[in-house]
Amino acid sequence: MPDDAGPACALQGTPLAAALPGINACVHCGFCLQACPTYLALEDENESPRGRIFLMRSLLEGTVTPNDESVRTHIDRCLGCRACETACPSGVPYGQLLEATRATLREAELPPAAARIILWVFSHPALMRIAMFASRLLAATPIPTIMSKISGRAGFGMAMLASAGSPLERDAYFCEGDGKRGTSSVLLGCVMEGLFTETNRATERVLTKNGYQILDAPGQGCCGALHAHAGDLETARKLARVNIAAFERSPADFISVNAAGCGAMMREYEHLLKDDADWRDRAAAVASRVRDVSELLSAAGPIPGGRMPLRVTYDAPCHLVHAQRITLPPLAVLAAIPGLELIPLRDSENCCGSAGIYNLIEPETSDAVLAPKLENIAETGASFVATGNPGCLMQIGAGLLRSGSRARAIHPVDLLDASYAMQQQ
Amino acid sequence: MSNVALAEKLAVIVGDRFVLQRDGDLLVYNSDGLPGYRRKPRLAVFPGSREETVAVVRALADAGAAFVPRGAGTGLSGGALADDVVLLGLHRLKRVMSIDQENLRAVVEPGVVNLVLNKTIAPLGLLYAPDPSSEAACTIGGNLAENAGGPHCLKYGVTLNHILAITALLPNGEIMSLGNPEGEIDGYDLRGAFIGSEGCFGVALDATVRLTKKPVAVRTMLADFTSVDSAAHVTSAIIASGIIPAALEFMDEATIKVVESSVYAAGYPSDAAAVLLIEVDGNEAGVSADRDAIEKICLDGGARAVKVARTEAERGRLWQGRKKAFGAMGRMAPHLVVQDAVIPRTKLAPVLRRIAEIAAANRVTVCNVFHAGDGNLHPNIPYNADDPDESERVHRSMGEIMHACVDAGGSITGEHGVGLDKIGYIDLIFSAESLRAMCRLREVFDPDHRSNPGKVVPIHACQEWRATPAGRKSPASELVAVSAESQGV
Repeated sequence: MPDDAGPACALQGTPLAAALPGINACVHCGFCLQACPTYLALEDENESPRGRIFLMRSLLEGTVTPNDESVRTHIDRCLGCRACETACPSGVPYGQLLEATRATLREAELPPAAARIILWVFSHPALMRIAMFASRLLAATPIPTIMSKISGRAGFGMAMLASAGSPLERDAYFCEGDGKRGTSSVLLGCVMEGLFTETNRATERVLTKNGYQILDAPGQGCCGALHAHAGDLETARKLARVNIAAFERSPADFISVNAAGCGAMMREYEHLLKDDADWRDRAAAVASRVRDVSELLSAAGPIPGGRMPLRVTYDAPCHLVHAQRITLPPLAVLAAIPGLELIPLRDSENCCGSAGIYNLIEPETSDAVLAPKLENIAETGASFVATGNPGCLMQIGAGLLRSGSRARAIHPVDLLDASYAMQQQ
Repeated sequence: MSNVALAEKLAVIVGDRFVLQRDGDLLVYNSDGLPGYRRKPRLAVFPGSREETVAVVRALADAGAAFVPRGAGTGLSGGALADDVVLLGLHRLKRVMSIDQENLRAVVEPGVVNLVLNKTIAPLGLLYAPDPSSEAACTIGGNLAENAGGPHCLKYGVTLNHILAITALLPNGEIMSLGNPEGEIDGYDLRGAFIGSEGCFGVALDATVRLTKKPVAVRTMLADFTSVDSAAHVTSAIIASGIIPAALEFMDEATIKVVESSVYAAGYPSDAAAVLLIEVDGNEAGVSADRDAIEKICLDGGARAVKVARTEAERGRLWQGRKKAFGAMGRMAPHLVVQDAVIPRTKLAPVLRRIAEIAAANRVTVCNVFHAGDGNLHPNIPYNADDPDESERVHRSMGEIMHACVDAGGSITGEHGVGLDKIGYIDLIFSAESLRAMCRLREVFDPDHRSNPGKVVPIHACQEWRATPAGRKSPASELVAVSAESQGV
């Protein structure tokens, strides 16, 4: 007869204790193992969803403590890609469990200084603007490209910067639409507006052309995803409230998001603020208006553009495919470009290793996860890798640059925008 | 040898990162696919190559240390639990070493995941037939150790029929070839003995597996019934008609509901008392005729409707729902017992009725999802283990169900193995004499009982045998003597 473990009653009152029902949904079947990038790269079940959930359960059973080195290492090494969620028959809300665990561990010991500094900057709009301004200045020089080949994180960071922005030059074109598909505000985001400014403008143009009237939503800021993933739920909630208030002021039907990670976060605002009676319903109302830009575009067709004979492959951002379960709309966007040849990417739904700031904090594992992605991209022979998330764009872009590949990472919206520009010539 | 000294010795072979000895690192390895059981290994070691595996097993032999081989840890009988012995994880040995398209075979390492092998050979129009529901995670080595089954084993046979040869590493570090790639058996079929030995005879360094041509035509049908009895009778009637479907699977109402609420929702009718998922394959003319015949048997037997998958995607969904059903049961309660038993197919209806009675009497919910075509039952019970009363009722039900299956002329395991979970039931089906014979066979491969100790055959059975004067003779020498005689030496 089985010797079932004792009840889970340690760490009462922590976010982890509140997450117990989600932990209990795991029956340990192991169907998540092959979906987990860190398990495949590191070959130890502690680096798998099933292993990490076992550790979470053990924390609640009191068999390990939040200071335990093993626990911290394995929880830290999770990318948070949530590929296990689309593999899990039992519906374990892994992303929420991970955030609750990190929040609980954080109470025992703070994360590394590098992570804290980055998150601190992200939570202060003025600092963020300075950081992004400095990054743009640097990105405009040849320095990042030159330094991108040096080994280590500094070189990788430079390669990321060199890959920021759209790699496709296009002429300005006159853009008008009938606005009959409704109104939309756009989440500008921090990294998107800072380093992918042109992609944000392209987003506004392609939405307009496809029948959405764009409405400003002043006062918006960082979505809080990076903080939530790191377990700093308090800061995440603070940032969420700012955004909720800003988007409540916009009468737009939709809130269009072109960064998969931010879209996933905003759709979960209700869960983030579930214990805040004043904000929970407001969060739910804003979350229900959130759409990935590809969803709005595919609902409208989208309208075909001018011919662009390019070989393109598509890499699905984890927070689009696994967190938001959006698979086909980005392909519809690419299909609206005549002449574009879409080459399937093997394991397109596997993580690239970017995972927010993971590639800066856990470089070795990030590199190990990126390596098969680069091999699979090389196999396609494509000249562009389309993917709709700034982290993935810079991670894959940096990987391509450093491996000497001539392929470039690009947002699908930039391809569609260039195709529209081409049409008007 | 002390734990620390042994760990150091092993780390020299596999590297520090692949020897685990901290409590926190070993926690997840306390369980396999049946987390109701927990056993703490003294340490865990994960060799990354064939050479490392041989060196590790030899080092363990030198140290006299017992070990438990483990693949992906998806087993459902507690077979991969290491109780204060070394856990030997073989999941890093994941190379498909060669594919011989002409002779329809491949050589694979034990850590190759079943579905990864199938994905690798699919572009060649080939498949590896045994398809346990855990195919997305479980390894060929684990399949070999458990003689794993799966839905399609009804027509194609179990793992035993698809492993032609094994390079076995015995617990003493000796390497042995069992069987041969041509499929001819010379002398005793030691390959047959090794397959299904649940890790008690040693580990496989590689296996030569049989590949099967993908059938030209496939029809996948979903027959829906308003009574469990009708579904059970139809199952028997289909086989009695002379048709051997590629697969014939049963799911009851509770299972259908839980699958339909998961990401693997397959479109099963949630108001049905039971569904049968039936697949026939072969050439186009044959499957069309079989499909018509099966549809008629189903409708005559009381099916409300028989739906046929029209596209490969639809077929895939019907199968995914079935294969992920057990995992989906986590939605119903925090804990789950998964059971495995076999009964004569003709007894399906009365045994399912008996199971329903047992469940009602003990106030538990049984979810039936199983390989009906070969009478391989899987009654699963979701429950809350923190409630001692409920826990008691669940485990009592399981015992009663096992007895009901044995009374119906069945056996205590169809495909999950005995491991730790079924060891208490083994006396129901084997005499003391049979168990002693099993002990003797085991000792041919592992005289010191160092490989997966305490599993399959209860220790008392072997101890009794050892206590008899005849038993003290070396069992291996007895068998060798017989073998030499038979060859006229």
